[in-house]
Amino acid sequence: MIEAQGLTKVFRDKKRGEIRAADGVSFRCQPGQIYGLLGANGAGKTTTLRMLATILKPTDGTARVAGFDIVEQPEQVRAHVGFLSTATALYGRLTARETVEYFGRLNGVDEPTLKKRTDELLTLLELHEYADMRCDKLSTGNKQKTSIARTLVHDPPVMIFDEPTVGLDVMTARTIVGFIRDCRARGKTVIFSTHVMSEAEKLCDTIGIIHNGKLLREGTLAELRQQTGLSDLEDVFVQAVESAG
Amino acid sequence: MRLGHAGIVFRKELTDVLRDRRTIVTTIVVPILAFPLLMGGMIGLMIFFARQAERQTAPVMLLGAESAPTLAQKLSEQEGFTIVPAADDYVQRINDKQLRAAVEFPPALEEKVRTTPEETQTVSIYHFEGELRSRSALRTIERAVRDYRDQAVAERLAARGLSTELLKPFEWKRENVASAEKVTGVIVGFIVPYLVILFTLTGAIYPAIDVTAGEKERGTIETILASAVSRLELVTGKFLLVFCTSTLTTVLSIGSMAVVVLAGAEYLGRLTGGFVIALSGKAAATVFLLVLPLAVLFSGVLLAVALLARNYREAQSYTTPIVFLAMLPAVASFIPGLELNAKLALVPILNVSLVAREIFTGQYNWSLIGLVFLSSCVYAGVALWFAARQFNREEVLFRT
Repeated sequence: MIEAQGLTKVFRDKKRGEIRAADGVSFRCQPGQIYGLLGANGAGKTTTLRMLATILKPTDGTARVAGFDIVEQPEQVRAHVGFLSTATALYGRLTARETVEYFGRLNGVDEPTLKKRTDELLTLLELHEYADMRCDKLSTGNKQKTSIARTLVHDPPVMIFDEPTVGLDVMTARTIVGFIRDCRARGKTVIFSTHVMSEAEKLCDTIGIIHNGKLLREGTLAELRQQTGLSDLEDVFVQAVESAG
Repeated sequence: MRLGHAGIVFRKELTDVLRDRRTIVTTIVVPILAFPLLMGGMIGLMIFFARQAERQTAPVMLLGAESAPTLAQKLSEQEGFTIVPAADDYVQRINDKQLRAAVEFPPALEEKVRTTPEETQTVSIYHFEGELRSRSALRTIERAVRDYRDQAVAERLAARGLSTELLKPFEWKRENVASAEKVTGVIVGFIVPYLVILFTLTGAIYPAIDVTAGEKERGTIETILASAVSRLELVTGKFLLVFCTSTLTTVLSIGSMAVVVLAGAEYLGRLTGGFVIALSGKAAATVFLLVLPLAVLFSGVLLAVALLARNYREAQSYTTPIVFLAMLPAVASFIPGLELNAKLALVPILNVSLVAREIFTGQYNWSLIGLVFLSSCVYAGVALWFAARQFNREEVLFRT
């Protein structure tokens, strides 16, 4: 479960002054559901997700992730979260297996469980053949699979995906999309950011439209259509952004 | 802080860094090979130039040789000397390095030496001051001229029925009472503190950049920050790695240098029968102990500064001024007369340089050594705190 309450993040820039990257963002995401944050570049998606993953501290507001407060208990939050984005690269000099084991250990998985779980994940993701290959030698697809294994090694109840398919080829992107669906099927709470309408339409149970750091609209795809009288998600998105000025 | 988690980070960083060829080269290969190669190269060059000098003859001109036939003959018999015909342009030829030296004898020198003992004659030797080969010829000429004069003095004394012993009412002898360890310590204490500080610093630079700016450049910083490790555990693990490589570089460099120096000294000792060198284990161990907080200081400062950079190249430009700043007080051991006192014991880096020099020369002022160690520990603690603080600053971690 994720419950965000008035999440706000203010950055101070010498040239641009105060930037409110996230401005009072509140939403709730239930287990077994995918919540999609839909927004253009610079809308505040990454900042919001980074705050949920406790990589950034909120300037104001807070959130409870898997029952832990992101401000008060950041380490417990991280231990119960799997975070994947295009910015979360792998250690090139470690092998795929070492990578998975490293993050398993950091997330407190005991050694016998870690061995078993690493083997299971490598088999599930068809990575066994490449398990002892250095990550910098892996193909893009296998790198993404290793990243998936890394996020799943401690079996977190909450998964956070920040534009996970950006820059990936169709086949690799399909693997990621399939993996996100699989997380939902296993009852995990999933939050996912994208600027690709079709991805949001296909995947999300609830969609939140974010612009200039503010959550403008929220609901299921059907609810959003009903609210706006528009059938196409892109039209819904544009109307929300334009009406916000 | 969970030490186990810091240990996990340390082990991963160690694996990572040991698979990086650049780190292996800068941390292990260069420290082991640099000094032997440098020494080997220098000795090789010296042998080459010495042999070349042996093959070359030294052209020397004698002016007015007819007034001193015995001395002229003696000079012409000097090894490597070629006597060239007298000419007026000897000054120009010495300046052009065509002539090593010219010797001018006053008129009727030998006759006057024999017949007018009350009159002192002057032989002029023209040479090129500072020019090595001219100086070598000058020394040979002076030796020959001195021998001739001593012989003339002996003849004069003999003519009066006196012994040359009359000129030596007493003799003196020199005897070294310092142990070989202390004699070695003076030389070692002069240069080794500087080198130890240099290696401690250079050993920390590359890994410090790799685990901070390198991590940013490779895009793994967000990956690790999203894991269950705390910032303090993360910085501790990274710090341990940098500290270990810094210490390893220092130990390997100094070890390799000691092996070369000791082997060289043993070889020289066998050749000359008198060259003895000895290094004190106690001194080496005490200096090593004092270098440890210095390694912590360098590791902390470099981690904190390199983390400010967005990429590897930027980090290199940020760390370069640190090298200059650190090496300035490190040269203290080279300054004669600069003695360690309670005030200087509080100056970072300089204190280690001075105390290490004292220790190598066998002076163990334990209260000052303790003060240096304690003040270094305080600076090291501040550096570590500074590094840990940087890892908690979002504007540093996500600088774009």
